[in-house]
Amino acid sequence: MSERNQLKQFLAGRIWLRHLLPFSEEAVDEAMRQGDIHIEPGVTTKKTWHGKHYACQRCHNENQARFTVFTCAQCEAPCAYCRNCLNMGRVSCCSELLTWTGTPPTFPTSHRMNWQGNLTPSQQKATSELLESTKQGVSHLLYAVCGSGKTEMLFQPIHYVLQEGKRVCLAAPRVDVILELLPRLTTAFPDTKVEALYGGAEVEHFDAQLILATTHQLYRFHEAFDAVFVDEADAFPYTADETLQQAVRKAAKPNAPIHFVTATPSRQLLAMNKKQGHISVLARRYHGQPLPVPRSVALWNYEKQLKKKRIPAKLLRWTAERLEKQQPFLIFFHQIELMEIAEPLFQKLDERICAVHAEHEDRKERVQLLRQKAVPGLLTTTILERGITIPNVQVAVVGAEQTIFNKGALIQIGGRVGRSVPNTSGDFVLFHQGITYAMDEAKREIRKLNHTEVPQ
Amino acid sequence: MTCLLCDKPLHDQPTWQHFLGMQQDTFACLTCLEKFERIDQVIQNDVLDSVHSLYAYNEAARAYLHQFKFMQDVALAQIFAPALRRVLNDAKKIVVPIPMHPVNKKKRTFSQVDALLEAAKIPYQSLLEKTTESVMGEKSRSERLAMTELFHVPADIPYNEAVYVLVDDIYTTGTTLHHAAEALKQRGVHRVEAVTLFRPIREK
Ligand SMILES: [Zn+2]
Ligand SMILES: [Zn+2]
Ligand SMILES: [Zn+2]
Ligand SMILES: [Zn+2]
Repeated sequence: MSERNQLKQFLAGRIWLRHLLPFSEEAVDEAMRQGDIHIEPGVTTKKTWHGKHYACQRCHNENQARFTVFTCAQCEAPCAYCRNCLNMGRVSCCSELLTWTGTPPTFPTSHRMNWQGNLTPSQQKATSELLESTKQGVSHLLYAVCGSGKTEMLFQPIHYVLQEGKRVCLAAPRVDVILELLPRLTTAFPDTKVEALYGGAEVEHFDAQLILATTHQLYRFHEAFDAVFVDEADAFPYTADETLQQAVRKAAKPNAPIHFVTATPSRQLLAMNKKQGHISVLARRYHGQPLPVPRSVALWNYEKQLKKKRIPAKLLRWTAERLEKQQPFLIFFHQIELMEIAEPLFQKLDERICAVHAEHEDRKERVQLLRQKAVPGLLTTTILERGITIPNVQVAVVGAEQTIFNKGALIQIGGRVGRSVPNTSGDFVLFHQGITYAMDEAKREIRKLNHTEVPQ
Repeated sequence: MTCLLCDKPLHDQPTWQHFLGMQQDTFACLTCLEKFERIDQVIQNDVLDSVHSLYAYNEAARAYLHQFKFMQDVALAQIFAPALRRVLNDAKKIVVPIPMHPVNKKKRTFSQVDALLEAAKIPYQSLLEKTTESVMGEKSRSERLAMTELFHVPADIPYNEAVYVLVDDIYTTGTTLHHAAEALKQRGVHRVEAVTLFRPIREK
């Protein structure tokens, strides 16, 4: 493919900083001469009665607290930059954002789907409904419990969009989820150009038709996709951040459907899709066994005891039992500091036990060690609440009453247990000092899903 | 207001300290600030009468400088403003930032040392000019030593008797500060001190 063509395939649907484009200056200049590229300033300024009002043209942030003004040596004037999308390359008043305005690119209409998995009747029903919504261009919420095999349910709808010669995006809020999805999708669509975008990833393909991206990366797209699937739609930081939701809408073409996939939909998401979209509920795991219902065990003063270098008796017994039965385990903590106090205490039981949290760069390797049984168990923050499967894993939450363990988080954490055959159940224990509304709610929701009738 | 480093909201309820003007503006949360290790190391060498380094160049410092310089997050200059103000707040001394080469400065869009001083509201005089575009870290030790002149003093120096304080973000090999101090002393300055935000320390 010529560089000019590559530039078109790449830039169409994106909004990109000029100096970060992976193309030669000549190719960019030539396209500009042809009128195929539009340039706009990264940050625009409006004068208002209370001073200047800035707007980021990439992420659409207009929260004035998220802009910093400085004396710029490049434009030799006071210049504002956006801190909201800083990690994708700084955008300021004097930086140039490029969009493609020439003829749109075309994509192949023949794609092989290499996947012979069997869908259960419930899965097939949900996937057909999702496919139907995709054809109609209507937003769809796939409410599927943890371990119901939701990725597989996306294959047929994604295949449909690809066959139409259209561009698809599968977005997830966390890098971990993207990295887990990537190999499964490249296997399922072996001939399709697939690209994963996340902080620090290099551009590999210029003409990807199926794009996997963290929701953050969608800031860099503009009316690019004919369908967007948002996986783990409830996870931080997507729910927390309105500009991220805008980013998803901005990345999709005006009439493109935006689908949401989650095991723990928020009230807003349910309400939104009830009003103007469709919903499929998948209440059963792919192996047909019920979700593990948590049991609550009081664990008083656990914080004090850990600080006194003592593992509380009930927690100690629970861990010893896992070690004895050689069952892999995860122990969730609400706080990094407390977890790091606990780490050396647990290492006295077995020196291979270790802690993982968001800032550990080798957390993927540590999870892998747990899967291979090289490590008997991990202490973790909520970072491992979703996206991972470890056969026969047993789960404890220490301090289940803490606010970080809301209903959604507890359901996700429980969703780690009993995911695969033959270990379709396991222990899911909430150590607490006082039962919260969230704990009750989580339990009620799990029971309700377990009693939902499913198609046979 | 959120923490400039981790984005978590800062608790900014006014306290009586605010009313008395004792509480300085905070730009980062305690958890983030605690990751910086205060060392206040002071050393001397032949040309420099003293070099005061405020913090250890640890993991947090590395991440900070990456975001500040490489990601061009000028706002981060605020974080060390109170610390720098306390150390440099002496009207009798003349503060001189280590400059960037104009080409590099234009590329980065700001000079990190100037930004630190401006955030700290410390008046300074840009007496030095960088003569080379290349950066110290890219050179071998022998190359560094062989360099004749890194800085140039374009104007006359008014008060030779005054104490001049060079400011840089990090003290690594000392070559930069050494050259800068020499340039000033050749112009007749008697005493040259230096303050750097960071300095690598040996692991215990
Ligand atoms: Zn305004
Ligand atoms: Zn922005
Ligand atoms: Zn500028
Ligand atoms: Zn912070």
